[in-house]
Amino acid sequence: MIAAVAAFLGWLGASIIVLADGRRGLAVGLAGAATGLAAIAWQDGDGVAALIVLGGGGAAALLRYRSGPGGWAVMPPGSTPRLILCVAGALVALWFAASVTIGPGGATRFVVLSVIGLSGARIVSSREPSSVLTAVATLALATAVATDLGAGSAGPVPFITAVLIAAGALLLPVRVANVP
Amino acid sequence: MSPELATSLPVLIAAAAALGLALAMSPPRVSRTSLLARGGTGLAGMVAIAAAPSLDLVVLAVLVLAVLHASLHGKRDFASRLQMPAVAVVLITLALLFARVQGPELLQRLAAVGLAAGIAACVGLLPYIHVLEPEDMAVASPTAWIGFVGPVAAMAILIRVRGLLSPDAGTDLGAMLIGLGLVNMLWGTLAAWRAEDSTRAWHYSFMADWGLALCGFGLTVADGHAAALLVLVSIVFGRLPLYLASRQALRENQSADRPINLMVAAVLAGSAPFAGFAGRVLLLRGATQMYWPLALVLAAAMLLWLPVSLRLGRTLGRPRGRQAVGVGIVIAANALVGLYPLPLLALAGR
Repeated sequence: MIAAVAAFLGWLGASIIVLADGRRGLAVGLAGAATGLAAIAWQDGDGVAALIVLGGGGAAALLRYRSGPGGWAVMPPGSTPRLILCVAGALVALWFAASVTIGPGGATRFVVLSVIGLSGARIVSSREPSSVLTAVATLALATAVATDLGAGSAGPVPFITAVLIAAGALLLPVRVANVP
Repeated sequence: MSPELATSLPVLIAAAAALGLALAMSPPRVSRTSLLARGGTGLAGMVAIAAAPSLDLVVLAVLVLAVLHASLHGKRDFASRLQMPAVAVVLITLALLFARVQGPELLQRLAAVGLAAGIAACVGLLPYIHVLEPEDMAVASPTAWIGFVGPVAAMAILIRVRGLLSPDAGTDLGAMLIGLGLVNMLWGTLAAWRAEDSTRAWHYSFMADWGLALCGFGLTVADGHAAALLVLVSIVFGRLPLYLASRQALRENQSADRPINLMVAAVLAGSAPFAGFAGRVLLLRGATQMYWPLALVLAAAMLLWLPVSLRLGRTLGRPRGRQAVGVGIVIAANALVGLYPLPLLALAGR
């Protein structure tokens, strides 16, 4: 049950990053995705990784909250394709995790596939550096959590690297757009 | 030293030498400190990619370099320059996901597709060609991916993928790399021949060389991998420094038909005795071992390099001073590697 809630939270966070243009929306999305990914890592028995992802993701979300286009700007006019992308992405990831693949770790498969897919879509579709960098941060965290699917533990190095990328990307100077 | 790092060592050494040469040859209007900082960061990233113990860390290192490269000042905006490398990261991560989960055999084949596509997107090959702005500085342009970071990244990915894919999926990956290689070879040579802008012609010529390297990686024999290594070394310490040396002449729209231009054309065409020739011979030998009609196709495609190389050789203009010395060093080094490639191959554990 906890794994399912964590996976949903991860997808919801990535979806908010896709749907939001303002720094508050992006920060909440990043915090949600990081919390979901950390909970998944915890469920997979990697407590250290969970703490790293939670701490690093939280710090990155704080950095995003402090810089970028003002306001929330969640679902501005013309967001219908983005909304459809989020829902369709979730359905495809759910089908993949629950039906196509077998074995334990269905929640991990769902959250990794949905977060990587949505982050990638955000990077490709956006011109605003703050949105792109937030998606890059999420992509890095999801890439690290994906190592839990491999045989044996990858250790804390991928998680530390991902957290450094997430925080470092948000420290890059970005052009601030005026979003109402 | 890990075997993964050892395999990439010749390309890393070539990249360090190319950076040193670029610093020495750079025109006065370019700040050497800035070039050293940017090139050094790229080189450090390449070392991290080569030394990374797992494919996940390779992907994360590529992501770091992608963000840093996109943040450099250039004609194109940050987001559009980050797109293709980010697509590469997404594709390779999804490929890893497909390769690791339990499920139908089709997932392994999808993983192979993701890896081949991810490498093409990372380097900037067809069908994921990075958009080139001819006025951009070389360090901020896609040339940094196709001629500097890409060779190490592709090698690191393809070395680490062994054992991750099932034998059938590994064979599929090889076949896809050969297919991509042939397409890029034809597209690169023909586009470089037909392109009106010489800077674009240079960029397409990198793609053509990459076609040879991909075919080498796709051949599952030692000669193929050795050929790919030699072609990558010739890209990093042949085509790249010669392109950088030609930038000034390209800007001033100069061209010349002096002996030095013909020598450069010979290096670029991969003719004897230069490094490209050794790579081509090994590639043809490997292809003959695998499936001889492929060697026939490759040999025919290799003829396409000649007109392109003559054109690109002319764009070097009349190099003088430090630039002429730099071009001389490149020609000599390529001749040395072409005549005696064994130390380089031994360094890579071949």
